[in-house]
Amino acid sequence: MISSRLTILIVDDTPTNAKQLEAVSRKLGHTAILAGDGQEAIDRFKEDKPDLIFMDIMMPVMDGITAAQHIRELPTDKWTPIVFFSALDQMQDIVRGLEAGGDDYIVKPASLQILRAKINSYARMLMLQREVHANTEELRNWRMDAEEQSRLGAHVMNRLTDAAGLRDSMIRHFNMPAETFSGDLLCAARAPGEVLNVLLADAAGHGLAAALSAMPLTQAFYSMTAKGFPLPSIAEELNRKLKSILPPDRFVAATLAAIDVRNQTVEVWNGGNPDALFINTRGEVAMQWASNHPPLGILPDKLFSGMTETVVFHEPGDLVLCSDGLTEAENPAGGWFAIDGVRDALSRAQGSEARFDSLLKGVMDHLGGHPGRDDISALLVSVPIDRRRQIRFNTPMPAHQGHLAEWRLDLSYGAQELRYIDVVPAVLGFVTQIQALKSHQGALFLIFSELFNNALDHGLLGLDSATKSWIGGFELYMRQRGERLARLRDGRIDIAFQLHQDGTRAVLDISMTDTGPGFDFENRIDNPAALTTSNDLAFGRGIALVRNLCEQVVYSGNGNKVWARYVVSDLILESEESEDEAAAHQSDSAGDDTDLVMF
Amino acid sequence: MLITNEVIGSQATLKLGGRFDFHSHRDFRSAYEKILETGAVREIVIDFGDVDYLDSSALGMLLLLREKAESTGKSIALAELRGTVKQVLDIANFGKLFSIKP
Repeated sequence: MISSRLTILIVDDTPTNAKQLEAVSRKLGHTAILAGDGQEAIDRFKEDKPDLIFMDIMMPVMDGITAAQHIRELPTDKWTPIVFFSALDQMQDIVRGLEAGGDDYIVKPASLQILRAKINSYARMLMLQREVHANTEELRNWRMDAEEQSRLGAHVMNRLTDAAGLRDSMIRHFNMPAETFSGDLLCAARAPGEVLNVLLADAAGHGLAAALSAMPLTQAFYSMTAKGFPLPSIAEELNRKLKSILPPDRFVAATLAAIDVRNQTVEVWNGGNPDALFINTRGEVAMQWASNHPPLGILPDKLFSGMTETVVFHEPGDLVLCSDGLTEAENPAGGWFAIDGVRDALSRAQGSEARFDSLLKGVMDHLGGHPGRDDISALLVSVPIDRRRQIRFNTPMPAHQGHLAEWRLDLSYGAQELRYIDVVPAVLGFVTQIQALKSHQGALFLIFSELFNNALDHGLLGLDSATKSWIGGFELYMRQRGERLARLRDGRIDIAFQLHQDGTRAVLDISMTDTGPGFDFENRIDNPAALTTSNDLAFGRGIALVRNLCEQVVYSGNGNKVWARYVVSDLILESEESEDEAAAHQSDSAGDDTDLVMF
Repeated sequence: MLITNEVIGSQATLKLGGRFDFHSHRDFRSAYEKILETGAVREIVIDFGDVDYLDSSALGMLLLLREKAESTGKSIALAELRGTVKQVLDIANFGKLFSIKP
């Protein structure tokens, strides 16, 4: 509550005058302080910080004009009116007083009514000043709070979004916030099989509220990608998470993409973002993924669809994702940059780097120096055709100290479970908990997913790999797979892992048996010439990869049983070797990058 | 934003005009609150014929209205969708969440 009581400083060397003003002030409910000369007035001013000053001019020690000048030179954060109250009644006296910093001039003698009216008038103005002052103070505190929250928000967002995954050599990106920080979120990470997953999310609105809505996505995206979950499962989990956290009027538009260079596929889920584009080397839009779903965080689990669109690419290019801040960026006339603007800017340049720069320049030129109304972000992935299919693993082969105790895992999945469980990440989750196998996650993912997918796709679902090599065949294959899996009623896949000691080495044996009819493995696998025919190429590619990574791969039964041996590490069994030597040995072999070149 | 509303029998129509964005929050809410309380209304039609612009906050307001309407047993339909308004609603696939009238 703002007090309406004023502290009034009365400066006069004549006690009668001072007493008169003091009496009026007191009667009006204010506090009066007296000073007998100019110097005393300055001291009182500093000490008591009065709200209003009545100042005589002719006084001993220091006159009123000089005192007013001094007072005006003192630092202060509020306006203190100085009213000269003097017997000097010439025009130049009045002007001199006002020029010295006075706000008013009353000639003595003045009636009580005039003095009362003056005090009341200044009281009203000072009350207004106090209110404005209090509001300004409050506003300043709010602002400081808001800035502090923004600073913290920006810091946390930066930490969450500045993931190492975005520094991938295949990726270029920009994110221009409309406010302190962006409600657009970019994420990228490699799945265990070297597939690159990217996410571009745009939370409704902008600023802190938007950033907060998008934040829960990062953790789920990174952890599920690291475990090798397929894109539809990641989309479902992200939606579930946001739906449970956000209020009904908040949602997050998102594009998820998985770029698999080895299999030459791009898989996209787009809910609420502008079209994702694949631009070929000639600058043409070779593929386009429109938004097929509502944004994340709106639909309940049972109505949500994580269905993706997968396309095979036969030439290199750039995959471009963006938020609607880019397509809806307005030029000074209010025209949108639009998806056509995005496409034009991308097609104008050759090569990923130039293309990315052209897009950024395009939107900046379009904005014409004005800031965007919404957060503007884009992410470009350079997608190569890697003929050598080089897979680079950082596979340290650390020597394991001492004997290895055997570890076994036996699993059996029936049709019912196979229909809805993501078996590969679930099983690898178990396997890579074993200390000795942790650093082999990438290779084990490739081996296990290849063997398991063969058992499921070819063994139980009866799909033919040859389909994949037709034009449009991959899409057909994926559709058939989805349909057949949904209808799967019979069948079973048995999986066994055994980590044990084989002489001086630690080895992991993986075996898999499906209840399908099997295949003619003697002709299709064990005859190297067969691999070069296009019919078996897609299938043979996967098996060749497994053979490269494993020491041995053996098919048996009707081709429905497979056994593979993967060498985990050497074992140091000599008890006389000191710990130091063991450590030295370990650091020699650790960090040994192994390049696996296929075909 | 300009909003007019009209109730004929069991159908209420909210006709919107101008920019439907973050600043429309209060106007939009006060326009639909009375209709939600009217028991006779079974369907609320949102007429976008005169809307020039729609942002993501507006989409959020529609979702909120949809949730409130469902809890009082009313349905929502979006009508007169054209130009950028239609484009924004299409990209967000709101056709999967609301019924759309031509």
